[in-house]
Amino acid sequence: MRHVQALLTRELAAYFLGPMAYFVLLAFQVIAFLNFWDLIDSLSIPQREFSTLKDPMSSYISSSPSFWIAILAALPVLTMRLMAEERRSGTIETLLTLPVREYEVVLAKWLAALVMYVALLLPFAIYLPFLYRQAGFYFDLGPMLGLAIGLGSMGMMMTAVGLFFSTLTRNQIVAAIWTFAVFFVLVAIAPLFYVYAVRQHAPWADAVRFLALLYQVQGFALGRLDLRVVALHLSIAVFMLYATTLVLANRDNRA
Amino acid sequence: MIEVDRLTKRYGTIRAVAGVTFSVGKGEVVGLLGPNGAGKTTTMRMLTTYLAPTSGRATVAGRDVLDEPLEVRRKVGYLPENVPLYPEMRVREYLRHRAVLKDVPRSRRRQATASVVSRCRLGDVENRIIGQLSRGYRQRVGLAEALLHDPEVLILDEPTSGLDPLQIREVRDLIVELGEERVILLSTHILSEVEAVCGRVVVIASGRIVLDESLEEMHGKPTIMVEARGPADAIRGALETMPEIEQVTRLERDGEYALAELAPLGDADAREAVGLRLSSRGFPIRRLDQRRSSLEERFTEVVTRDALSSARREGH
Repeated sequence: MRHVQALLTRELAAYFLGPMAYFVLLAFQVIAFLNFWDLIDSLSIPQREFSTLKDPMSSYISSSPSFWIAILAALPVLTMRLMAEERRSGTIETLLTLPVREYEVVLAKWLAALVMYVALLLPFAIYLPFLYRQAGFYFDLGPMLGLAIGLGSMGMMMTAVGLFFSTLTRNQIVAAIWTFAVFFVLVAIAPLFYVYAVRQHAPWADAVRFLALLYQVQGFALGRLDLRVVALHLSIAVFMLYATTLVLANRDNRA
Repeated sequence: MIEVDRLTKRYGTIRAVAGVTFSVGKGEVVGLLGPNGAGKTTTMRMLTTYLAPTSGRATVAGRDVLDEPLEVRRKVGYLPENVPLYPEMRVREYLRHRAVLKDVPRSRRRQATASVVSRCRLGDVENRIIGQLSRGYRQRVGLAEALLHDPEVLILDEPTSGLDPLQIREVRDLIVELGEERVILLSTHILSEVEAVCGRVVVIASGRIVLDESLEEMHGKPTIMVEARGPADAIRGALETMPEIEQVTRLERDGEYALAELAPLGDADAREAVGLRLSSRGFPIRRLDQRRSSLEERFTEVVTRDALSSARREGH
């Protein structure tokens, strides 16, 4: 475990020594700014009818298409490099012949991706204190906290999935595409399946609804802290990290 | 220090390394030679615990590569073939980072990095970004990294490939210096390099060891080359009748000069006698030197023999 810190520092440095991290961070800052602008806009329009009443806070993050599109694109970009680049450049050979255990490498790389993921979401959080104190819009803190927990556990799961795909290949693009595909199915395709299942009165509709990441996160944003979902995310994360360690520790065919 | 016993690595149906056995003792510098694809890199990768052998055993510094990989890694400094490094890091930063991962104690890290930097002459580029360094410097950074934790065993895969002649010389000198107190196993394609730094050669061809011999043994019998002015037949006669000379193995005419290759009897240096004999017979000498049976000849011989025998095996 004592090597994790040194490995993590290098991974984070590698993010910031290339242009990609700044690019992604800037894009998220812009999206957070635009969404906040929208939020202020919609708050200044008095709502007259209950039928169109919606929670303005949910359109800020959890129901915002631009947020989801951005996170769908950014997360695979953050994780694709982690192991694939080491394999492509051959540095994996020197890395895995150091007196370092494979799980230390996996843990450090996953933590680095997680730190970057949190850094992406921070711009959204930065605006909230201003809204609360300066503008005097006293939104509920509970749902916001729930959303933070939900986005956090989703991030843990998806970075672990991304790291796993990055370990399977030496081509970053392939890793990114696989991660994106899984993420896209969970976020965008699953709700479509749910809608279809409901129309067909299929018995599996509820299962799809439970698994759809979009609905999970929206639930958190409404203040439903569903621990089953958190447990699901965390157990998938642990399983993926374990699988990654197994792939990395397999010395039979590395070439 | 390195014990390899019937080590085999199979990829599907291909046997990359087929039952290799050899050992390297303390204070030895051994050259691993062989044509491309012979299994040199695979053997080295198994010794550094990067790959697991399909069968057979290997121990490095008394530790089994399969049972105690972490202990082996602690004892081995490894320089892979294409010197993979992190291009975005600075040299000093990279070495510090590696020192931590190699468990160099905190109090000794500064000293350890400084010592490999001076040893590999990296002082000028310490603060430069690795990606911008020339091939020669990168090679030295790789070597410095391998030496950081002062390993007992060094495994170097083609340590001088891609270097210019001056750099090759520097790296060779460094290897000779390091070999005094360590065990070094290095692979190369440059035969003169083996002669310059190694005490022993192990030649691998198609996954098997075809030669394992110390350079001293190999150099056993010398050849004398002499070039003198005069009729070739007369020169042959003068040389053949000498008691020190077993036979004239080759005689060539070159204008009014004759070039003769002689096999002397026994181990004694017969050059002086040859010189005296020719000048006393009135043949002025233009060149006179002694050559040991070269590694190149032996290498070509064993590798061709292997190629022939494997072709015959496949013919069956």
